[in-house]
Amino acid sequence: MKDVFKRFFFGKREKYWWMNVLVPLVSILLAFIVGAIFIKITGRSPVVAYKLLFGASGLFPGPYWKSHFSEMLLSSSMYIATGLGFAIAAKGGLFNIGAEGHFIVGGITAAYLGYAKPFAGLPKFIHLPLIIVGVILAGGIWGAIAGYLKAKRGIHEVITTIMLNWIALYLIEAWLVIGPMKAAVETGISGTPYISLSAKLPKILPPTRLNISIIIILAVTFLIWYLFYKTTFGYEIRTMGHTLIFGMEAPKAAGINVERKTIQTMFIAGAVAALGGAFMVLGVLFQYPPIFEGGYGFDGIAVALIGQNEPLGVVLAGILIGALRTGATTVQLAHIPKTFPSIIEGFAVGFIALQMLIRYWLMKLVRGRKKSVQTEMGGGAK
Amino acid sequence: MKALEVKDIVKQFPGVLANDSINLSVNKGEIYAIVGENGAGKSTLMKIIYGLYTPTSGEIFVFDKKVDIKTPHDAIGLKIGMVHQEFMLIPRFTVTQNIVLGDEPSKGIVFDYKKALSEVKELSKKFGLKVDPAEKVANLPVGIQQRVEILKILRRGAEILIFDEPTAVLTPEETEDLFKTLMKLKENGKTIIFISHKLKEVIAIADRIAVLRRGKLQGIVEKGKTSEVELARMVVGRDVVLKIPKAETKVRETVVSVRDLTVKSKRGIIGLKEVSFDVCAGEIVGIAGVEGNGQAELVNALIGFTRPVKGTIAFDSKELRVITPFNIRKKGMAYIPKDRKMRGLVLPFRSRENIIMGQHTLYPFSKNGVLNNIEIDKFTTKKLEEFDVRPRDIHTRARNLSGGNQQKLILAKEMSMEHKFLLASQPTRGLDIGAMEFVYHKLIEEKERGMAILLISLELSEILGLSDRILVLYNGEIVGETTPDKTNEEELGLMMLGLKKKKRVTK
Repeated sequence: MKDVFKRFFFGKREKYWWMNVLVPLVSILLAFIVGAIFIKITGRSPVVAYKLLFGASGLFPGPYWKSHFSEMLLSSSMYIATGLGFAIAAKGGLFNIGAEGHFIVGGITAAYLGYAKPFAGLPKFIHLPLIIVGVILAGGIWGAIAGYLKAKRGIHEVITTIMLNWIALYLIEAWLVIGPMKAAVETGISGTPYISLSAKLPKILPPTRLNISIIIILAVTFLIWYLFYKTTFGYEIRTMGHTLIFGMEAPKAAGINVERKTIQTMFIAGAVAALGGAFMVLGVLFQYPPIFEGGYGFDGIAVALIGQNEPLGVVLAGILIGALRTGATTVQLAHIPKTFPSIIEGFAVGFIALQMLIRYWLMKLVRGRKKSVQTEMGGGAK
Repeated sequence: MKALEVKDIVKQFPGVLANDSINLSVNKGEIYAIVGENGAGKSTLMKIIYGLYTPTSGEIFVFDKKVDIKTPHDAIGLKIGMVHQEFMLIPRFTVTQNIVLGDEPSKGIVFDYKKALSEVKELSKKFGLKVDPAEKVANLPVGIQQRVEILKILRRGAEILIFDEPTAVLTPEETEDLFKTLMKLKENGKTIIFISHKLKEVIAIADRIAVLRRGKLQGIVEKGKTSEVELARMVVGRDVVLKIPKAETKVRETVVSVRDLTVKSKRGIIGLKEVSFDVCAGEIVGIAGVEGNGQAELVNALIGFTRPVKGTIAFDSKELRVITPFNIRKKGMAYIPKDRKMRGLVLPFRSRENIIMGQHTLYPFSKNGVLNNIEIDKFTTKKLEEFDVRPRDIHTRARNLSGGNQQKLILAKEMSMEHKFLLASQPTRGLDIGAMEFVYHKLIEEKERGMAILLISLELSEILGLSDRILVLYNGEIVGETTPDKTNEEELGLMMLGLKKKKRVTK
């Protein structure tokens, strides 16, 4: 049983496999150290700042832990969604900057399906899945547009996804939210109307507002992992990602339909990122506001990079970023702006970008240690 | 005086002992050849000497002085130069610009092209290596490009020149020229280390020959005291039949027929002009030609990477309107690419993942889109055994396999796929005799099983030995069609260079 479990989840590991885990951890640690130096330079106490930051992050038990914890998971689920959106595309060799656009497209779709008449009266167990399906389709199609342009017209996905982000933003904020989807004036609500009760995500930890979004996204993460490593679809995506520098010639020559796979990959990436927007609307805001405080999509890139584009890594990175953001407001007590965690996030991404160097250093450290141990024990190099 | 000496060099890669305490000493002014199979450790040893790898243990002496070579820069400083298999030249630059690149003569901060020109002229005169210093490298044949490489390292004052399989890309005539060059360099007191697995050449040119096998030094033989057969035995570790077995099979129906195929090259010019031929079940059609005379265009059109400008390709006498790799594979085409790393394999993938590429959607490897790992592992274990891929570990990443084993993995992959037509583009490129022999046997086996095979090769012996019919490509056109019993290497060589045409017997 244990063997089957190991086989299913890990496959064969190579020597130094733990390096893949250690390198991101060291990168994050370095980011915190550099952050501490910054705080110190400005004449404040890093110890106090970190104590406040982590105390309110929801990662560790403490005062008001329950509410911090729920807030952390709420935002984490959105970061994980957008992080996966980036990671899925990255596995297939695509650089998807479009998670922000997918996120708001998902949000507006969820809002519309949440309040619009024919759906609003449905029972919850029909209404909610219906919304989720709608969101997946809308986000997926938004993503697939970029995939189509890449596959059939050869336009680079970085350009198209950025442009699609702006198209989505202005379609929503400059038209839908103040036009056809605007709430009636007499209700006094700005933005879209509130979604019906049947569209709200069920809460799981009252009295906090933690809802099932985290469970949904964990299930999605597992599905993505399964897709990557256990299906032919994921296999094809990985062949593409690994041969990106060779123009994907090997999978093409093997008869893999690279164009179709590109579109499909972008569909899935868009769909998963759009789920994040749905979580926002269905679980936190309950409407689409006139101006949406975004950024989840772009933070998703950081999450995916820190998580090394691996589903499990993205979950852990998403929780970390969620925790940093949750604790962010409290660092103001130490006279540090609440944007400070973004600095740490930025450094973490920076160090991840230097991972080859960090890996090299760590390897040297490990090997050096080993050699001296061997000589101490009198063992030869053979 | 010893130019180069290595003592007890050990290089340990994860899972592979590439060099196992190797001791060599090369005298000054000697042509020293190192032969061995792919993965025997020749390249590793040279890379250690050139500073691209650091040895796990061992010492290197250059001109009797112990040295520590950490980077190629150190090696150049010690007057060691290397001519790589793939040339490191910039095609758009002139010969002179390429030769002085990295160490340019200058007037103040301005590049002094005139001085560079005269320097190159002088250099080429001194060593008797004729080149046109003002010509662009892109316009030069491969043999001359190699000469430019040699001049480049000579200009840096190299005394020890390492040649990594220099004849792999040359025609027989160019090889002759290269050997003349090597002799001249020897007369000038240069030391030459020559890596090859073409035993005939090594015997012809080298003063001493060191044989490596599986990372170990098997022995050193003197010039004239060995034969090809004996050397082959040392290299492979058993008797090798260098002769290619002939198999008489009945030629059956036409599988592929190409008519008036005209294809543009990557640079946008017409690379293949109105080429027509048929390949029938149970025969091997060989395409001879110097590299760059339309082979790449032909392959790309057949596999569906480029759309032909004109002409048709029919499979099973059904004309295909649009060819994509996907649909032609479905029709039953297998393809052994010339560039293993680029087209054949996904380098970070393990053997078990690589071997199913292209057939991963079929039962038993997957069902309803879910991979069946147990079946894949079983299949891979069986195929690694059958095709003798070393190491046998199904989890080895393709990146860590040696060239020959990568090729065997590709053969295992392509030949286990259901197919009627095999397109083999330089299937023995960069392989040692052992692996070559293996590939030949597999090709003959395929033929006996009734496959139609199109063999594209630069090796004339291979073309002559294997093919039932031979087509010669020159400048994008088929300049001759013949059969192996009606021609010989010299005639084919002349045809390949466009100096002789032979009327086509059939169309």
